[in-house]
Amino acid sequence: MNNMFAVELKDVSKRFGDIVAVDNLNLSLKKSEIFGLLGPNGSGKSTTLKMLIGLIKPDRGVVRVLGMDVVKYPLEVKKSVGYAPESPRLYEFLTGAEYLDFVGDVYDVPLSEKRSRINDYLKAFQLEGREGDMISSYSEGMKRKIALISAFLHRPKLLILDEPLNGLDPRAARIVKDFLQELKSQGVTTVMSTHVLEIAQALCDRIGIMYNGRLLALGTVDELREAASLPDSGLEDVFLKLTGTSDIKAVVEELLR
Amino acid sequence: MNWKRVRHLVNVDRKSGRLIRGQKLSRYAENRLLTYLIYSIAIALGLVVGIVAGLIYMQLGNVDVKLQASTYFGLENLLVSLPTIVLLYSLVFTTFQQIQRSGVSASSQPPYWLPITWEEHTLASILANLFGFPLASLFFITCAVLTVSIFICQGVLALATVVAVWAAAFMASALSESLRVLQVRFVGAVYKSTGRAAVWVRFVGSVLFFLLFYTAYFYVTQGSAALAFVQTLASTQNMLWFVPFMWLGIALYWVTRNALLLTLTFAGLSLLFIVGLFRLAVWFNRNFGLYEPPAITVSRAGYAPKAGWLERLGFSKPEAALFRKDFRAFTRRRELMAVFILPVVILIAPLMQSLNVSAEQMPYDSTLYLSALVFLMPPSVMAISLGNFMTGEEGQAVWRIYASPLTARSFVKSKYLFILFFSFIVSIITGAIGYVLLHPSLKATLTFSVTAIYLTVALGATSLSYGIKGADFTEAPRARMIRQSWALVNLAVCLLAAIAIMAPFFPYMVTQVMNISLGQLAQLWLGMLVSAVISLVITVLFLKISLKNAEELLSKAEI
Repeated sequence: MNNMFAVELKDVSKRFGDIVAVDNLNLSLKKSEIFGLLGPNGSGKSTTLKMLIGLIKPDRGVVRVLGMDVVKYPLEVKKSVGYAPESPRLYEFLTGAEYLDFVGDVYDVPLSEKRSRINDYLKAFQLEGREGDMISSYSEGMKRKIALISAFLHRPKLLILDEPLNGLDPRAARIVKDFLQELKSQGVTTVMSTHVLEIAQALCDRIGIMYNGRLLALGTVDELREAASLPDSGLEDVFLKLTGTSDIKAVVEELLR
Repeated sequence: MNWKRVRHLVNVDRKSGRLIRGQKLSRYAENRLLTYLIYSIAIALGLVVGIVAGLIYMQLGNVDVKLQASTYFGLENLLVSLPTIVLLYSLVFTTFQQIQRSGVSASSQPPYWLPITWEEHTLASILANLFGFPLASLFFITCAVLTVSIFICQGVLALATVVAVWAAAFMASALSESLRVLQVRFVGAVYKSTGRAAVWVRFVGSVLFFLLFYTAYFYVTQGSAALAFVQTLASTQNMLWFVPFMWLGIALYWVTRNALLLTLTFAGLSLLFIVGLFRLAVWFNRNFGLYEPPAITVSRAGYAPKAGWLERLGFSKPEAALFRKDFRAFTRRRELMAVFILPVVILIAPLMQSLNVSAEQMPYDSTLYLSALVFLMPPSVMAISLGNFMTGEEGQAVWRIYASPLTARSFVKSKYLFILFFSFIVSIITGAIGYVLLHPSLKATLTFSVTAIYLTVALGATSLSYGIKGADFTEAPRARMIRQSWALVNLAVCLLAAIAIMAPFFPYMVTQVMNISLGQLAQLWLGMLVSAVISLVITVLFLKISLKNAEELLSKAEI
């Protein structure tokens, strides 16, 4: 086991029937790194993230998280990881506070810490006053906030966040971004997927671009620019060139015809 | 009205349940044979029942002409009553189907923002409600009635009955469509006015509704009450001419009397009434269809957690948290509340009949049988139902369990505790009711109470193991919770387990009921001891299987 890395994927593959979701993926992330996974829809980002927490088993290869094999040590991995899925299905019959209380207890957070953390998070995400309402009445953004708080609540060493800023209001999005930077300084590693390239550019230390289950490119924004031979371009142009979807103009013209 | 659009909408609604449950969602192809199998079986059954009934009728002519004549009269009465019976059954079934649906807004709202008229949407919804069991019943009745009519030479009445039966089913579905929309609006108003108490008002209201609903259903469908109901219906239908729901039956009555004018009058009135019901459903949909109930506020005080009683009893925090979460699920989710009613409802039919006879007048055997039923059935049914549903009720939010550091042991411990907790509560309540109503002896009371505990712990463990193995996390169009095949296997195994647990009491029962001596073998204490051992063995065995199944579930953990 190599404890230098927070996340290690070695020759990892996953198929769903005829569809190859992840194809021979190799990836190593250092501790306290914020890593962004980019890629078009269906490129294998969410499958990769789910494999990191053990929600999907790889058909081939090894997934190690914080030095532990995810398949061999699932409980230890889950204790150290905070996860927020892309479309979080929460227990809608619970109130926001009850849901967070449930998550706090499942992760065995001490009572006094649980109380102060939940109250602090509810206040920060402007959910105060609605914490006693059933989640079924929450907007999508509010549900996303609850899912994010439940990922942060037990102070994990690794955060796995699938599209974390989707549906958040600008204030909450800014809080999450600053909070992730603060956690980085405390040694917490974050792996996130996003479609918003500006967020990846501003927040992530390194970015991996996935396409058809394979890792097309990996590095800092500057390294990706170099790889795409677009030294002065933004991440959007780099992304479109690397994923072979730079024929946007032609597509739009075809639609307008 | 665009009929093509209506057909498309009906297909969407009809297919949604099956397609959502399709294991292979990519390149999914529907198996037409399986889709229409239920209807084919219903048609075949209808033909068989019709032929058998017809042949029996013909044979009666050779044996006893008077009996044949009274049978003819009975069949005619049944045909005349059929529309009203079908109306009641369909109303009960379609209403129940609507109540069980979860995530209704997700599946029923898209039509509201598509360019579809309210009439098209409402008609499609009414027709889609009839698919499945109601439609199969209609096919069965149609075939049975038409076949038997050949033997009794009542072709015109049979044809009229078939038309009336289909019209009655449509009538029921239209009414249940109105009730569905209306109850959403009504419940919303109740939430708003009751504030924080809404969550308990909802629980009590739903439980009472189910209780009344099931009581009425069992009363008109089970045993001698059902027969009496049909007889009463046939004789009183004409007296209730002012109730529009009876008009179809009355029209049929006039067919049997060859009164063409009255037949046409009531048939015409029925048609007008159906149109009226449809317009009413459209009006409700137009005015309240998009209504979103207000949020239920459970607590206005800020978040302030406390250590719960389960932690004090030695349960770990995750186990206690899971228990609390499940408690809230079963008291707040309407589709789960029905679980509490089933054990009570099972008792209602026999108890209602027994209440006509006072306990003193009732024979000793009957009292003993009823007492056993009251003491043993409800907790057993509760343990089986909860065991089946406890895992699948997690639904699509099961990812939370998969992603959490929850051991299989904690999972099983918490779920099993929940099963025992509610089953024992049911046991105490129904036992007390049984004691008050039936006055069994102290010895019988103690024996039944102890046996109820044996059954609850063993059947709870058995059902939990199958509930985990066959967990179905499908939520739409209604929560499934367990795959049908595993539920059936569980039922069979539970039946065997219950027989095994109760078997040691049989020698004692024989000596009591038949007044014969079987010596030491028939000692009650011996029966209780052996029964306890059998219950313990079954419990330990199935808890181990539950643990294994939970380990498999949590390690597979694919969503």
